[in-house]
Amino acid sequence: MDHGAAPDDAPAVVIDGLTKSFSDEVLAVDDVHFTVGRGQVFGLLGPNGAGKTTALRMLLGLIRPSAGSASILGERVRPSAPVLARVGALVESPAFVPHLSGLANLHLYWAAGPNPHDDMHLDAALKVAGLGDAVRRKVRTYSQGMRQRLGLAQALLGRPELVILDEPTNGMDPQQMREVRRLMTRLADDGTTVLLSSHLLAEVEQVCTHAAVMNRGRLVTTGTVAALTGPSNSVLLDVDDRGLARSILGVTTGVVDVGEQDDGLVVRLQGIRSSDVVARLVHGGVAVEQAMARRHLEDAFIELLAEDTP
Amino acid sequence: MIGVELRKQLPRARTWVALLVMAVVPVIMTIGFAVGGPPHDHDNGLFALSTRSGLNMPVSALTLMQNFLLVIVVALFAGETVSGEASWGTLRYLLIRPVTRTRLLASKLAIVALLVVLATLLIPIFGLAAGLPAFGWHDVAVVNPQSQVTDGIPTFGLLDPASALWRLLAATGYVAWTMASTVAFAFLLSALIDSPFGAVFGGLAFAIVSQILDNIPSFGNVRYGLPTHYWHAWTQLFAPTVHAGDMVTGTLTQLPYVAVFLALAFAAFRRKDILT
Repeated sequence: MDHGAAPDDAPAVVIDGLTKSFSDEVLAVDDVHFTVGRGQVFGLLGPNGAGKTTALRMLLGLIRPSAGSASILGERVRPSAPVLARVGALVESPAFVPHLSGLANLHLYWAAGPNPHDDMHLDAALKVAGLGDAVRRKVRTYSQGMRQRLGLAQALLGRPELVILDEPTNGMDPQQMREVRRLMTRLADDGTTVLLSSHLLAEVEQVCTHAAVMNRGRLVTTGTVAALTGPSNSVLLDVDDRGLARSILGVTTGVVDVGEQDDGLVVRLQGIRSSDVVARLVHGGVAVEQAMARRHLEDAFIELLAEDTP
Repeated sequence: MIGVELRKQLPRARTWVALLVMAVVPVIMTIGFAVGGPPHDHDNGLFALSTRSGLNMPVSALTLMQNFLLVIVVALFAGETVSGEASWGTLRYLLIRPVTRTRLLASKLAIVALLVVLATLLIPIFGLAAGLPAFGWHDVAVVNPQSQVTDGIPTFGLLDPASALWRLLAATGYVAWTMASTVAFAFLLSALIDSPFGAVFGGLAFAIVSQILDNIPSFGNVRYGLPTHYWHAWTQLFAPTVHAGDMVTGTLTQLPYVAVFLALAFAAFRRKDILT
């Protein structure tokens, strides 16, 4: 492999105008741009069907982009690009040859690729999988959580420079989820770049340093998680009478927009303090149970979720 | 990659069951003929000679199994190979390993070819293994095309066992090769679609439809181009004088089908979006 071809300081991932349309007019991925720097834990956040998996499949050379390009570690991605040998991935869901054991699957997966046998870090991977003796059982008998962990182990088998994990905590119990999140943090500490896709805001907030939010194939926002989770100018109000509250808010200057979600009204403000809004509501006879400042990332995410359920 | 593929396919129950069928059917046939006597009528007359010698048995087994049982097995091997990987979901992991798409298909095809040859070989091997103890090591009875079939028993010539064995080997090779267009078609479907069932069934349908068309006289000369038309040309090896012309034509007839189907398979798979 020609490591020399790309500079070592090239970003881990560059997604440049990536677009994919499947036969019909709807664009599964629509002109998406983002860059993942070396050593970042990057979260690709979006609801199911936002185009995250399609974008990741294009990044891995499984799907041909209709337009735009993707590169990994400075090398343009094409189907089965050599640079993929430096990547470990979990795409959509783990998948194994069902009639073989977990261990045999790891061995075969490694043997299929170009890397020498000695570069396989089997013991470390097995520790991640944490399957004990079950690793010698046929994969057919595994639970989804076990498959998920074996899939993670497979992705980490070669100590990759870039780890791409598509919804890695799917089907796991809370304890396992915590372990996986801890694992991602540990990978980052070792200098590994992690690109994580998730529909869980909390997951991205907890483990990622950077994030991009996608919805309906489009990039909504991107930046550091710190900036994205900073305070925004909107507030979540838990009120007893939403109808009355809405009519009061409707005539309040400084209230730009009122949205609704399960736990209350999302009120976007401009030039007015939230305490003033609460005072006005209470004055109008609306009981305000709670008023919580909202953050950018949450806003961006909730807004696009609301769009999806008209 | 070929080693990886072999380690994946060989432990499968599916592989063993398919190969077992190829071995068991000739044995069952032999038992049936030994108990119930030789069968009567058959198109080329060879069938009625099954019990004349242990060496006749593999010839009868090939005749019986070529049209359908062997076709099912090769369609299974070829149709399932890529689409099975797609339905497991392991295809995407192989491709990002990365294994180039051409290399993946080539090694899959190599293993399919190996299994097809193995499946075909088992028929005469077990035909002999069962036939020799049952009917003995005698000269092989062969059909004399000039003769009339009377009362279901054609007049026949004899072939010494050594030369019969050579002809049997050639016949087996020919039968394996007659599967080539079906294998290539099922393989093409396997690379194109993600359903193993569809690809296996498509391969099977290909051979069956060709055989049906071949039986419709109004198609005239078109029938000579059908991939199954010369399937049984190898039976001419078991005649007093061998006419190899049809076997040569039959061998060549497979080539355009194989070339087109495989070229399409490789071209399409290289461009395919992997969505499984």
